[in-house]
Amino acid sequence: MRIGDSDPAIDNAIELRGVTKKYRYFTLDGINVTLPRGQIMGFIGANGAGKSTTIRVLLGLVHQDAGEVRVLGHKMPAQQVAAKWDIGFVSEDMRLYEAMTMSWHMDFVRSIYPTWDAAYAQLLLKRFGLRPDQKIKGFSHGQRVKSALLLVLARKPKLLVLDEPTTGLDPVARHEVLRELTHVMAEEDRSILFSSHNTQDVEQISDQITFIDRGRIIASMEKESYLDRWRRLRLEVPRGMELPDLPGIIAVEREGSLAVATSNAFVPDIANAYESRGARVQRVENMTLEEIFVANVEHSREEVEA
Amino acid sequence: MNTAVIGRLILKDWRLNRLTISLAIAVGVGALLLVRYGSEIARTLGTVWFFVALIVLGSMLPASTIINERKKQTLAFIMSLPVSAVQYAIAKMLSIWAMFLVPWCGLIISALVVIETGRVIPHGVIPILLILAMLPLLGFCIISSATLIGESEGALIAASLVCNSSYWFVWYLLSRIPTLTENWKSGLPVWNPAVRTVLLSEMATLAIIVAITLLLQSRKRDFI
Amino acid sequence: MPSALILSQTDKRPIYLQIMEQIKQRIALGDWAEGQPIPSIRQLAVDLQVSVITVKRAYYDLEREGIIVTQHGKGSRVASTPGLGARLREQELKQHLEQAARIAAQMGIPQNQLEDRLREAGDRIAEEEKELI
Repeated sequence: MRIGDSDPAIDNAIELRGVTKKYRYFTLDGINVTLPRGQIMGFIGANGAGKSTTIRVLLGLVHQDAGEVRVLGHKMPAQQVAAKWDIGFVSEDMRLYEAMTMSWHMDFVRSIYPTWDAAYAQLLLKRFGLRPDQKIKGFSHGQRVKSALLLVLARKPKLLVLDEPTTGLDPVARHEVLRELTHVMAEEDRSILFSSHNTQDVEQISDQITFIDRGRIIASMEKESYLDRWRRLRLEVPRGMELPDLPGIIAVEREGSLAVATSNAFVPDIANAYESRGARVQRVENMTLEEIFVANVEHSREEVEA
Repeated sequence: MNTAVIGRLILKDWRLNRLTISLAIAVGVGALLLVRYGSEIARTLGTVWFFVALIVLGSMLPASTIINERKKQTLAFIMSLPVSAVQYAIAKMLSIWAMFLVPWCGLIISALVVIETGRVIPHGVIPILLILAMLPLLGFCIISSATLIGESEGALIAASLVCNSSYWFVWYLLSRIPTLTENWKSGLPVWNPAVRTVLLSEMATLAIIVAITLLLQSRKRDFI
Repeated sequence: MPSALILSQTDKRPIYLQIMEQIKQRIALGDWAEGQPIPSIRQLAVDLQVSVITVKRAYYDLEREGIIVTQHGKGSRVASTPGLGARLREQELKQHLEQAARIAAQMGIPQNQLEDRLREAGDRIAEEEKELI
């Protein structure tokens, strides 16, 4: 199904081609990711899967051993300074200067970036409930995360790269952050890449999703198309009958006369195939992104080990 | 060459280290006052204190500005700004050198004033004074560059140990060059070839250390 | 223009289906009239805090069903087909009735009993309406 823009010459906010980085105990292997301009990409992976490394390669903070990286058209890491004028980066392990106030940080960022929108910054202060004259030292975790986000949001960069922007936030703060992120999308040429453990958030606001596991990309595509491929089939199987191996089915769990088959390339024919072999299809269910992620990871790890 | 951002980073470092800078200046001024107005003992103490202050500052500055940036995890914030690793190093070096040079120049100027107005110390001492004063500056340069490249407290400590324990040895070596010390009693400063060579070598060493630092910084592939 | 659509987190169906259903409901109820402009894809995405691509999909499918019309550069509006609202109400009723028939068949309830049950339900609703007045 072609839902995308009709313009074939759309620019990409992010292009990673064959990116490889070797560490002693971990390798980022042949990463290929593309994020078209004006879209949001949700980046999901277990801890240690390579999310943070990939993001650092994107920003030119880590130099890849092989492969090409282009961000907003700039080659990285060579053109990182030019790129960073238009990128807003917040990572979970990033800290601000504890002894200084929020105001000081805002003035500091404002002195560097001409795109700083003072009115929007004031609005964000209110929305996020941050006191400008308070020292960062006295902020709670949630307030620190929101402060760092305010500093990048207020200068309206073309690309936001956020490493776990909602991790550790209470539900209200999370909602505040998501709201601002979706507001960014009101402008057509702004893009966001964010990594998160919160698969529900990713499912809700992402246009593209990317799964990473053990240094490899195991899926990277448009969210709706991807969600459409996955189904869970609840089957009633007569005792003694062996379920057939069908193409498009990657896992089957069987408990007596009930079985659950997981498909990553669903077409209605699969349900028909089961029915024609004697198994009754009780239900064909959609899967949440989290369920898909777990199933995908398990499947890809099996494939690697085989 | 991205001077605006580099300038902002320097101002940021000065603002963050206001306390350290003030203390350094205060100690320096206090020591100088002792040297100028105090008794014989006070004068000696003052000079020693001043040197100690410079040496301590030489280690403290890299610690508070470079190490802390990594430890307190503010480095990611800074590197998210439009600045490269080399530009970051340049900004860092300029800001902490400036912080160090203020009391350092103060030392030299005031020592010269003391010599001039005190009329007890012969002017022949001046070249030796300058040569010796370059040592804490060289030490500071080595320590801060090692910290910048080594990115760790270990590098800072190792470099500090090596430098701070080497001053005496270098003094000893220099004092063994007769052409350097032979004119200290003279009423006028004597700039003979030995003096000029040593001074120029010291300055050249500074330049080489800075160049090597920037080169090594540019070759880093895992900055954060 | 506020969209007045609300998504439910507990609804297990895909978001684009929820959006489509709510838009059809608005039209069926007459809140959104035939030919009336509706929020742009991007605007709705921002209002609902969902991805643009999800809204695009909903609008695409709605357009295929002839319920809305999107003109490049001019935004989207409810299709100007006369009687669209009534048609959608018809569709909804038909869906509910078919669903009831399906469940009854699964439960093994014969058709005449189903008719009785429908009549009972109708009576109950009429009672409730009287009480409200």
